[in-house]
Amino acid sequence: MTPLAITGMGAVTQGVSGRAALESLLRVCSVGAFAPPSLFDAASWPGLRVLEATDFDATRVLGDKGLRNIDRLTRFFLVAARQCLEDSGLKSSGTWTTPMSGSRAGVCASTAYGSLESMVELHRVALLESPRYLNPAKFPNTVINAALGYVSIWEDLRAINATVCNGNCGALDAVLLAETFLAGERADVVVVGGAEAMHEGLCLAFHRLDAMSGESDVFAPSDLARSRGMRLGEGAVMLTLEREDHAIARGKTSCAVVTGFGTAFEPPVSEAILVHLSAEALARAIRSSLSDASLTPADIDVVISSANGYAPYDRAESEAISSVFERSMPLALAKRVVGETLGAGGAFGLAMAAMVVEGVRPEAVAGALWPSQVRRALVLSTGFYGNATAVIVESR
Amino acid sequence: MRPLIHMANRVFVTGVGVVSSLGYGREAFQRALLEGRSGISKVSGFDTSAIGREFAGQVHDFRARDWLTAAEARRAGRCSAFCIAGARMAIKDAGLDLQPSGGERTAVVLGTTMGEVALIEQLDRQWVASGANSVSDMDVSRYGTTLLPIHVARAVGARGMVLTLPAACAAGNYALGFASDLIRRGRADVVITGAAEIIGHVQYSGFARLGAMAPEHCQPFDLERQGLIVGEGAGIFVLESEAHAVRRGATPLAELGAYGIACDAYHITRPHPEGEGTLHALREAIRGSGLSPNDVDFVNAHGTATKANDVVEARTLNEIFGTRRVPVSSIKSMIGHCMGASSALEAASCIETVRTGWLPPTMHFTQRDPECDLEIVANVARQAAHDVVLNNSLAFGGYDAAVIFATPGKIPAEAPMLR
Repeated sequence: MTPLAITGMGAVTQGVSGRAALESLLRVCSVGAFAPPSLFDAASWPGLRVLEATDFDATRVLGDKGLRNIDRLTRFFLVAARQCLEDSGLKSSGTWTTPMSGSRAGVCASTAYGSLESMVELHRVALLESPRYLNPAKFPNTVINAALGYVSIWEDLRAINATVCNGNCGALDAVLLAETFLAGERADVVVVGGAEAMHEGLCLAFHRLDAMSGESDVFAPSDLARSRGMRLGEGAVMLTLEREDHAIARGKTSCAVVTGFGTAFEPPVSEAILVHLSAEALARAIRSSLSDASLTPADIDVVISSANGYAPYDRAESEAISSVFERSMPLALAKRVVGETLGAGGAFGLAMAAMVVEGVRPEAVAGALWPSQVRRALVLSTGFYGNATAVIVESR
Repeated sequence: MRPLIHMANRVFVTGVGVVSSLGYGREAFQRALLEGRSGISKVSGFDTSAIGREFAGQVHDFRARDWLTAAEARRAGRCSAFCIAGARMAIKDAGLDLQPSGGERTAVVLGTTMGEVALIEQLDRQWVASGANSVSDMDVSRYGTTLLPIHVARAVGARGMVLTLPAACAAGNYALGFASDLIRRGRADVVITGAAEIIGHVQYSGFARLGAMAPEHCQPFDLERQGLIVGEGAGIFVLESEAHAVRRGATPLAELGAYGIACDAYHITRPHPEGEGTLHALREAIRGSGLSPNDVDFVNAHGTATKANDVVEARTLNEIFGTRRVPVSSIKSMIGHCMGASSALEAASCIETVRTGWLPPTMHFTQRDPECDLEIVANVARQAAHDVVLNNSLAFGGYDAAVIFATPGKIPAEAPMLR
């Protein structure tokens, strides 16, 4: 693939707003942050532990105008995108720095269940009151791509706007779309990432799968023997991607660079099932990303794991890593810190990869000893349906 | 001039599948369009009495088991079932067998607006009526926009990239565009692509509440137009690299030209008043295909029949074509606005136009709107030049996307997209 520099970063999760806060979160890793839900009735979900962005206040970054009809997911996207553009030096106080303009900038990001909040909210009005009382100003939020539509409006991103949906793999898949648009010179800069907002419906879905780790259960992603399940999180990460020549021309010479992409799908053997965690798909995605970057397994220093604590999920990843690498790999566990954020998961992984190749040492690690220097990190996303994606991030 | 796409690789459409209110398969669909038949009927499936509107372009006679195995029918929602049915038709139309290749270089890229909206509504009704415990496991697992391409990949034996591109009413063109990139950039040999949409209570009520819905007739570009009529369906395509198509001796239905996309960044539902994003998308599609506006023979317009869309779209088309009168039509006058599926169904019609030279009519056209000064193919199909056809779409979120279809070989070898 055309190598792409990561020149900026914005993030939202519990207690976190911005790159510096995300970096410190990855350095300390406090699992105590998982708590009963506050966005819906916790009494209906005894023992449920989630990570909500409880102290999130979009107005601190965006001001208090224009947010009335904008849902939680869109607010996450808006805040992370604004921070990201400022962090990359492309914008200053909300305006483009010369010679950049919105006609050469775009956004391409993932959400797995993006419009669920608004769909359910409007459906309940139609069901319990009357369709006559649906708020037309909120109706656009039921459309999955509306969140990024707002990002373009707020941040003047006119070259490209693409929403990606591929469950847990979407945020890494967004990298391939961005690469296609940047290599094809449809844009000079693409903001890439993902967001997911906490919703009771998601808790129901993963509870039914018996995949959730409760209050008294061990939550230990990648620890196949002990971990009892996953915990949901929420938030957003957005990263600025640009062609290396474009980044260097504007003085960004020592960034993390995305150099490889691979994705694959493997169906389950049984026709009857839907959920399918495929080690084979992930192994193929990893091999394909290595070949894309002209690297061998020996070139990879660390793996940014997508392990979330649900044993069948983590086992598929573990098998895939073992089948590609002949040695035990050091793993960084983003989801131990922020929980399973689904469509945003790969974006947290990418942010972590960009930080570790720039020298940040994460606290939540497993597997082989973390090396003193990390040149290349492999970021993984395992989907729930046989889909899997891998991306390689290198230091320059 | 900057090239749009680097790899020299033509992309052909070799198979088309259609699920529509006017029938199944590309030929039956186009025949109905050329006859000017209407797929609009009274809504069934939910109560419209409080909404003030009662017509839609629903696919009433779709039976999943006609197209899906029993296991597929159990695990797929209606939107996914449309996708599987369309994909099976497209694969058959293309005479494609993925078994020998193993499917690793076959991707599935599908567009939609809301995916399995009816399942969410069903889940929510159960939840509200009897609590979370009453919701069926099957319904919970079947929801998820992610699932559309997963179901299709399983059905056809694809093992490459699976991806949903929710791009609202431009979703079909988005999917076709990105799918062509996957092939031109060497990441896939075959892509099953297109888009699907089903009508839910929420969308139907929402469009009515926006004041965007006509009572009974959709009259694109007409002075008396009263808005859109919501529709549903799916248009699914087999795209192949030239090398792959030649190797297996496939006959291309049409060549996929370049696509243009942009975002208005202006308003979440209304188009930019000067059509800034649409102009960019149209120009990029034409330029990337190595063509000039003079080469375009026909425009299958977005033409929703809302006041705002049609004026802006007419203005942008006139800006592109100048004084030249290019025939323009909107098939939404017959099947309604099928939202995410609309530009995919329009693409299916474009391909048939390229193949046969027949332009579908814009029905219910009675009175010219001076603000929509276009050469409308009014009420009767006509035969005309048909080597290069442009499919235009606009969408919520300020999305704009345009795609070119051409008679195979008519895209010049020096086209930027082929470099």
